[in-house]
Amino acid sequence: MPPSADVVLTATGIARRFAYRPVLVDVGLTLRRGEVLLLVGPNGAGKTTLLRVLAGLLQPSAGHVERLGAIGMVAHDAMLYPALTARENLRFFARLHGVDGRTRVDELLRQVGLANRADDRVGTFSRGMLQRVAIARALLHEPGLLLFDEPLSGLDAVASRTLVELLQTFQARGTAMIIVSHEMERLGRVATHMARIAAGRLGPVESLAGRSAAAVFADLMREDL
Amino acid sequence: MGTLLRAAWHIALKDVAIEWRTKTAFASGLVFAVLVLAVLFFSRDPTAVSSQDIAPGALWVTFTFAAMLGLNRAFLLEREMRALDGILLTPAPKSAIFWGKFGANLVFVGTIEAISLPLFVLFYDVPVWIRLGELVLVIAMATIAFVAVGTLLSAMAVRTRYAELMLPLLLLPFLVPPLVGGVQLTARLLEGRPLSDLGGWLRLIGAFDVAFVTLAALLFQVVLDE
Repeated sequence: MPPSADVVLTATGIARRFAYRPVLVDVGLTLRRGEVLLLVGPNGAGKTTLLRVLAGLLQPSAGHVERLGAIGMVAHDAMLYPALTARENLRFFARLHGVDGRTRVDELLRQVGLANRADDRVGTFSRGMLQRVAIARALLHEPGLLLFDEPLSGLDAVASRTLVELLQTFQARGTAMIIVSHEMERLGRVATHMARIAAGRLGPVESLAGRSAAAVFADLMREDL
Repeated sequence: MGTLLRAAWHIALKDVAIEWRTKTAFASGLVFAVLVLAVLFFSRDPTAVSSQDIAPGALWVTFTFAAMLGLNRAFLLEREMRALDGILLTPAPKSAIFWGKFGANLVFVGTIEAISLPLFVLFYDVPVWIRLGELVLVIAMATIAFVAVGTLLSAMAVRTRYAELMLPLLLLPFLVPPLVGGVQLTARLLEGRPLSDLGGWLRLIGAFDVAFVTLAALLFQVVLDE
């Protein structure tokens, strides 16, 4: 990766086992402000586990993660309370982040296009709407790094396009992101780098500057992990 | 400390708000309490066993099992959309989750107990009102012990496949001391013995309160760490 802007995350020698099964093996990466890493790999490769370790939700069996700033995460599960409204959910998490809830929450709901559904229970929301509330939740504390686990999963074409546009907005603001996804074509427009993970091992991180995601993916597939 | 208390307060309020809105565990706890009180009352032979003899046991069986319904739901509501991960991603101390859940569980169990007590008087015709203050003290002390350990164990049980089964299995051994103390104290109070005569049992339950609350608070972080 080119030298530059501030480092927001450094991971070295990350390993993680579940019982005796190694899920991550000696994973290391550095992410800087404004960089968007698209992480691809087969099912069961350790992508979700890696994101959870980087977010601090899972302790690594070995290695170290240094987080230089706040992190927000949008996982496959929305991390919300179905019985509460969108506004109530966001205000609750805002309070835990020590953020002034009312103004920030209303602003985020407008930004994700859910201002007119703010007082509806999230248990009644579609998958796409839940993803948008989850993104608002992840942005409450203005993190410098966002982690996304399959953000387009279960979304229709319109919702996917809306979400990709949101991600492009974050990228333009300089927010670093790690996105786990199989949707290389759509997310290749947002990503600045791509890496492949297989059997718990992370391959080299390749720049997407001037190249298509498919071409970079083909190169990554030639690497023997 | 201020951050911890504020976070615990918000977590407790959130749980109470959700239960107020859904009333799922509350309604099932209350129906269960009425059923247990009624079944135990009508199952006895009134010529052989007076209602006052079985009243203390009936009261504490009701409280214990109605409380378990609420304790189970405490972390199940965090599991549905993995909302607990959302809390863990905030700067809120992990111990705030314990204290917030503990507080909300006390409100839930206390509410069930407050509604069950008049029903208990109705069914069993016991002279509770003259010893009400002392009885409330005994109920509160025993409740604190089993809600503390129940909060810890429900966080453990929710990660297993059979969460609703695991909690009662894990919790029952820890319930024995406060439950025995609660039953003994309730029986002696209803017999008319003064509280000053019951110091031994009160100290026992008090010791379990301190031990269980302290241990549960210390071990909670270990339970949350994956």
